[in-house]
Amino acid sequence: MRPERWIYKLPLRLRSLFHRQKADEELDDELRDHLELKTRQYISQGMTLQEARRAAVLEMGGLEKRKEECRDARGIHFLETFAQDLRYGLRMLRKSPGFTAIAIVTLALGIGANTAIFSYVNAWLIKPLPYPQADRLMVLLSHDTKKGWTSNGVTSSADYFDYEKQNSSFEQLVPWTSWYFNLTGDGPPDRVLGGLVGWNFFQALGAQPMLGRTFLPQESQPASSHVVIISRGLWESRFAADPRIIGRAVTVEGEAYTIVGVMPASFQFSLMGVSNMWAPLALDDKARNDRSNSWFEAFGRLKPGVTQQQAGLGMAAIAARLEKTYPQTNTNATTLVSSMLFEIGKNEGVQQVMISFYLVGLVLLIACANVANLMLARASSRAKEFAVRGALGASRFRLARQLLTESLLLFTFGGAAGALFGIWGVHWIENAIPDRIRGYIVNYGRGTLDVKTFAYTFGIAILCGVSFGLAPAFGSSGLDVIHSLKESAGQISGSRVARRLRNVFVAGQISLAVVVLICAVLLVRDFAHMVYGDIGFQSRNLMVTQLVLPPAKYQTEVQIRGFYDQVLARVRALPEVESADAGQYTPFGDSNQVKLIQVVGHAPAGPGEALGAEYSAITPGYFQTMQMVLLRGRALEPADGADSRKVVVINETLLRQQFSKEDPLGRQLEVGDNHDICTIVGVVRDTKLFNLTDRPMRQIYVPAAQFPSAHMSIVTRTARPSTEAASAIRTAVWSVDADQPVSAVRTMDDLITERNTGNRILAQLLTFFGVLALLLGAIGIYGVTAQSVQQRVREIGIRMALGASSRDVTRMILGQGLKLALTGIACGLFVAAAVSRGMAAILSTVKSSDPVTYVAVAAFFALVALAACYIPARRGARVDPIVALRCD
Amino acid sequence: MSKPSDLVQGTLDLLLLKILALQPLNGFAISLRLKQVSGDVLQVSDGSLYPALHKLEQEGWITAEWKTTENNRRAKFYSLTRPGRKHLEKEADNWGRLAAAISHVVRLKET
Repeated sequence: MRPERWIYKLPLRLRSLFHRQKADEELDDELRDHLELKTRQYISQGMTLQEARRAAVLEMGGLEKRKEECRDARGIHFLETFAQDLRYGLRMLRKSPGFTAIAIVTLALGIGANTAIFSYVNAWLIKPLPYPQADRLMVLLSHDTKKGWTSNGVTSSADYFDYEKQNSSFEQLVPWTSWYFNLTGDGPPDRVLGGLVGWNFFQALGAQPMLGRTFLPQESQPASSHVVIISRGLWESRFAADPRIIGRAVTVEGEAYTIVGVMPASFQFSLMGVSNMWAPLALDDKARNDRSNSWFEAFGRLKPGVTQQQAGLGMAAIAARLEKTYPQTNTNATTLVSSMLFEIGKNEGVQQVMISFYLVGLVLLIACANVANLMLARASSRAKEFAVRGALGASRFRLARQLLTESLLLFTFGGAAGALFGIWGVHWIENAIPDRIRGYIVNYGRGTLDVKTFAYTFGIAILCGVSFGLAPAFGSSGLDVIHSLKESAGQISGSRVARRLRNVFVAGQISLAVVVLICAVLLVRDFAHMVYGDIGFQSRNLMVTQLVLPPAKYQTEVQIRGFYDQVLARVRALPEVESADAGQYTPFGDSNQVKLIQVVGHAPAGPGEALGAEYSAITPGYFQTMQMVLLRGRALEPADGADSRKVVVINETLLRQQFSKEDPLGRQLEVGDNHDICTIVGVVRDTKLFNLTDRPMRQIYVPAAQFPSAHMSIVTRTARPSTEAASAIRTAVWSVDADQPVSAVRTMDDLITERNTGNRILAQLLTFFGVLALLLGAIGIYGVTAQSVQQRVREIGIRMALGASSRDVTRMILGQGLKLALTGIACGLFVAAAVSRGMAAILSTVKSSDPVTYVAVAAFFALVALAACYIPARRGARVDPIVALRCD
Repeated sequence: MSKPSDLVQGTLDLLLLKILALQPLNGFAISLRLKQVSGDVLQVSDGSLYPALHKLEQEGWITAEWKTTENNRRAKFYSLTRPGRKHLEKEADNWGRLAAAISHVVRLKET
């Protein structure tokens, strides 16, 4: 279109939009003028005034209709009508506040839940990682080609340096590991979470410090590695945001370190979790040449133009060369290359978020179906209004548009309320995530609720408003105007289309609700099994605190033993403490150690088949304090001292795997790199170590007196968990050494809960979704049955007059409601069977096809439906035939 | 719903543009002129005239002005705009071609 025409068009459009009144008046004038002239013409042809006027109007063919057509021609008509519909819609909503409130609350719950969950999908899966060119970041994984096992971390430190030297795919490779730092001086001793990292760690991530600098290449040398970088959080909390912090000396592990940089709050490395301090990963020559141990992980940035696949092939080639050169350590060991984003996607929570995202979508559908049903019911009770409007000349399209506008209005309000509910939901979820887990969450706290989230909220609100608003619009368009006008109020049963739509909605709604409920029940049952299941020890009333003695201060075994003996003696003396012991590694702690073992007398393990076992050095009363069950032999005793023969207690998995028919007691086990020979004196039950979902693993326990460690956790059993006991334990430690950092004293139950954050929150969310779905389903079937009873009062009256008992009527109405419900439930069971398979990955104790859950949910739902239908059915049965037949 | 008389779809627009090309007129005069020039062959109902005029106005082909008539009445006078004139030329050409083609077909001898 040439712009020239707009010179004429634009002012007209604007005028008709803003000067509607004037434009309308002019139209009136114009048409009146025409009629007058016409009348005069006819009079001059010999008609009477009356005849002439009539003829002129007839020729025009309905003045109002023409006016409407002229307004349509003005083009702006659409907007005008929309405004009109909007005003009318608002008035209708205000007129029935009950309906409006229920619809808006229903939508707010559905849309709000979606908003909250979407904000996490957005933060974790849509937003990029907070680093420049994050898609070029790759993680190295070690892989056992024979067993098919893949684990984080490099195959060994010597291997890592070979990869670093020989690869041609990466700009840089960065080694890193999570680490605890004992920070003393400048306030109370503190254990700070953080990491040991390659000097190029920050550089590879593209992160700039807010103060100072990042590490230098030479700081990877042990001699010059006494530098640390701290987080903004630590800088503010411990150093009062001192602007001259750079160059300041701090005491870490009892040694002097220099702070060289402060990272901004936005810096995050979610593979590491919460981290507030970083020091260079500096390895001496012995560690660099160690080919049998791996204790750090690595990531790298791809060179420009190199693909992930090429990098993977390159690493595999190096691995093959290493395998040939070092068969003893490197048989079956290779290195895989995986994208960092993908690895973070495996973090706790992502699967849970996706499952809730799908289920919450179903909840929204249920809510929408419910509202659509309410609108349909209202549309049929408004049939008369529409019939009148139709008779006055409103086209079907016009009426349908009115309904659609009303629906959009409702959904927009629902969306706004939903956004508020969503904000609350996000806060709820954030608060439900323990502090320590937050660090693992990508983009945590970086505006979870952003524009995209709210665009999504209103997007779904409008999408649902249009698609579900079409239902009543269609439903009403099948109305027979004449029929409706003839019927008396309250007797209009709505069009057949509307009735059928309502039934479809209710059945669909119930089947979706069944799906949501089944998924929720599966997950909650699984979670309950894990929480209340057997973990091999008694977690109630057990408190744990970790201690790491600085090597500079505690150099000899005697010093270490002396410290722990004193601490245990003081803790045991506390009034609220029943017993206290120490273990190097405790269940659900932050660290663990696997030691290679070899049963003396068994054939030595071949290449790549070395046997590992979870290792822990413990004090004699440990099993008792933990309330672990001794299966055979004896527990470790005070008599197992430094000078007596070395002993070990094994767990039942190790027993099963290595001593199928032999008696293990008295046999010997070679433990660790030092090849200590220990005699097996007892067998204990398996305990869970990391997660409630752990597979059984080999575990060994040795006496701390024979294998002293600077790193121990004090486990304390109290009559009841109390904060007083917790602080008393800390004070007891400080009474032995005032400079010794003590980790927070945590209850074992807390640690276990923390480990299961994802499933716990998911279980809570799904419980909420499930109850919501059930409620909405019940309301849906109640609504349809109630309306059907109301519309059939006269029919029921006739039936009763002809001899039907009130029992027959009840049975009839219940039967119809139940038929709908059972159809929905049956469909729901089928869909659930297909859908719940997607949950198999996170279910550990319950099968996704668990028949008990399916049967129970179906039966429960049928009962709820029966109850929901019973109320209207009873009302139907109470119909007095005389009243019913007379009322008109 | 009113049918746009017996006119071929779109031809009413063409006729109106042509009539206004000769001189600006008000609605009533246009209706008289239509009957007059077509020798009462083309029956355009008053009902379809005004919506058509308003549409042309919105399209920017014609423009309207309130003027006082000879007997001192205010009336809305429509006149052709420049784009309207171009549009008319194009449409007239189209119509010529279409009419020629149709009359050619109609005159085909049956064998």
